Amino acid sequence: MMSENNTTLRVANVSKHYGEFTAVNDLSFDVKAGRVFGFLGPNGAGKTTTIRMIVGITAPDEGTVELFGERISNETQNRIGYLPEERGLYKKMKVQDQLRYFAALKNVSQKEADRRIDFWLDRMKLSEWKTKKTTDLSKGMSQKIQFISTVLHNPDLLILDEPFSGLDPINVEFLIEVVAELKAQHKTIIFSTHLMETAERLCDDIILINKSRKVIGGTLREVKGSFSKNLIALRCIGGSAVLEDESLVAKIITHADVMEIELAANADAQVLLKRLIENGASISRFEQIEPSLNDIFIEKIAGNQ
Amino acid sequence: MRKFLAVVKHEYKKIVLKWSFILGTLLFPIIAAGFAVVPAIIFSIKGEPTRIAVVDQSGKLSARLKENLSAERMSAKVQQAAKDSLKNFDASQQERLNKSAEQLGASFVFTDYDFADKPLEQIRRELGEKITAKELDAYLIIPDYLDAADAKYEFRSRKAGDFGGERNLKDALNQAVRSERLAGANISEEQLKDLSRNVDFDSKSLDEKGDEKDTDGVFIASFIIGLMIYITLAIYGQMILAAVVEEKETRIAEILFSSARPFELMMGKLTGVGLAGLTQLGIWITSALVLVGFGMAQMSAAGMNISIPNISPLMVILFFVYFLLGFFIYASIFALIGSMVTTVQEGGQFSFPPIMLLLVGFYFSFAVIRDPNSSLSFWVSIAPFFAPITMPVRILAETPPLWQIGLSIFINAAAIAGLIWLASRVYRVGMLMYGKRATIPEVWKWIRQS
Repeated sequence: MMSENNTTLRVANVSKHYGEFTAVNDLSFDVKAGRVFGFLGPNGAGKTTTIRMIVGITAPDEGTVELFGERISNETQNRIGYLPEERGLYKKMKVQDQLRYFAALKNVSQKEADRRIDFWLDRMKLSEWKTKKTTDLSKGMSQKIQFISTVLHNPDLLILDEPFSGLDPINVEFLIEVVAELKAQHKTIIFSTHLMETAERLCDDIILINKSRKVIGGTLREVKGSFSKNLIALRCIGGSAVLEDESLVAKIITHADVMEIELAANADAQVLLKRLIENGASISRFEQIEPSLNDIFIEKIAGNQ
Repeated sequence: MRKFLAVVKHEYKKIVLKWSFILGTLLFPIIAAGFAVVPAIIFSIKGEPTRIAVVDQSGKLSARLKENLSAERMSAKVQQAAKDSLKNFDASQQERLNKSAEQLGASFVFTDYDFADKPLEQIRRELGEKITAKELDAYLIIPDYLDAADAKYEFRSRKAGDFGGERNLKDALNQAVRSERLAGANISEEQLKDLSRNVDFDSKSLDEKGDEKDTDGVFIASFIIGLMIYITLAIYGQMILAAVVEEKETRIAEILFSSARPFELMMGKLTGVGLAGLTQLGIWITSALVLVGFGMAQMSAAGMNISIPNISPLMVILFFVYFLLGFFIYASIFALIGSMVTTVQEGGQFSFPPIMLLLVGFYFSFAVIRDPNSSLSFWVSIAPFFAPITMPVRILAETPPLWQIGLSIFINAAAIAGLIWLASRVYRVGMLMYGKRATIPEVWKWIRQS
């Protein structure tokens, strides 16, 4: 386990109410430094409300939010880069001027800002758009500019709320690459999405919330492990005697190319593999099947509606 | 503080570097200069003298007519007309046109023409030919008997549009005929002048110290000051509204609020836009002072003695102070409205109440000009919302005691504190509410909750 001072963000027993409506209910989780944290949940689960409390736009009614070991303040705000889901740019302003303004609001000097603007525009292949107005940009370009405004002040914590919506696949891959680079620089990244495939690819840790409450959380491995139904995909010739052993195999579903084997309770996949080999079976595929994040999401959320 | 300054700089540059601002700021003095200087220059250019032949069949008028149209008489008339036009602030278009025509003056050169014993038909033909040949510009035929029932004074001119010249000639002719009639009645011109002389109506108001002030100048200057504040407050209020709505509409507010405190952002916005307004007014006022100075120099050069209201540096400072008071009062109202609505159009509908308040203040300034020391003037120049327009007008018309100015500034500053308190509460919640316009009960809840 990581040591305590490696915690970038600690959300402890946080609740937020709007009149009768409870948007976030007793939510707790930690985000470790240098990891990609998936903040998952359906629309209206309370994701945006939680993020707003983390970035200091609103304050929790109950509970505490600690960033870098301290309460939210203007200082901590300067260390966060926040890309909201609903985002925009000034329409009639030049790209460079907007970026300078957003950098100045994060306490970056203009000289330093100009240096980083040039770097990032080059990195995003948008250098020739530096003095163009927002109205001249395509949607994808605007989104990249918004991404630049999020990382311009070199934040230690990045919060990306649905960063890929509206991007074409090439730009999605490109942005994923950039996020990976930032992770390599030991930045912490909170990544909110309902695209489970992307989350599965990128995230080290996840939390799933629904109806203002935490449903499940932990490392991706732990979460998947806890959902494992002991399913094995098997393709082999021979070994039918082993497969008939009811102390090992509970159920077999035969597909065209592969058999799906549900292990009996307390049975071990390694024992099954060993027995098959001893039995002289020729094995071309033996794989423990994990449920996808998508499956978990659907089961957890749909089961709870 | 650094973030606040960043917002101020951003808002200021956003307005001041726009073409509309640069154009508006420069155009106003140029247009004003156009109104003030160009006519003076044009009027000072005399047209070509009109060559005229006078056919005086009666033989009694031409000498008097020539005298009435002499250069000295004309220039005396021009000066009188210029004075009248300044006093006559609300004269009708027609009157103004005539006045300008009189200022224009006109000069005539009399051409000799021997008409003895020629029939009228021949005279007309011969003179007509001279005009066609451009040897002559106009002719005037005076009948045999001046007061005969069918007596006609024929004036024919090549310069159809020269209404100034025509008018001057007509006046001079009428005067000559009148003199002739009076002479017939045995009254001399001097006697008549003596009898019909106007009284010298010297209208000046006395200020607190008993010093005389010129009322005409005060009226014009007060009106201009009131109008200027009213217009700038309305324009800059709308700018605040548009800027707030843009940040809400484009969802930039979400990013801004994650970077700086809402209060800092709102105050930065108000300050930046306010400074832009101050810049524009500063340029306007400086150019106005220069223009007035130029106009004064021109007039005194022309021998006219017109006093403008005495504007002290303190008045100019107070003027800017009241602009700022008004700006923060109305800007915070517009910021509040901007954070309630979802689109600029919707904001336009909701900006009706503050615009009405401004307009009422502007109308009150007329009451203040008429009687700066009435109790109505006292109250409206102290009341919040109205004082930013009415107090500068009152100061100019009749500077009230200092304690009243102090009280007025204090009350309006307190109103600003209250309004900013309200607006910042609505702003921090409203800016993050998307989709629908907030209702008044909702806004009231935000104010109480936060």
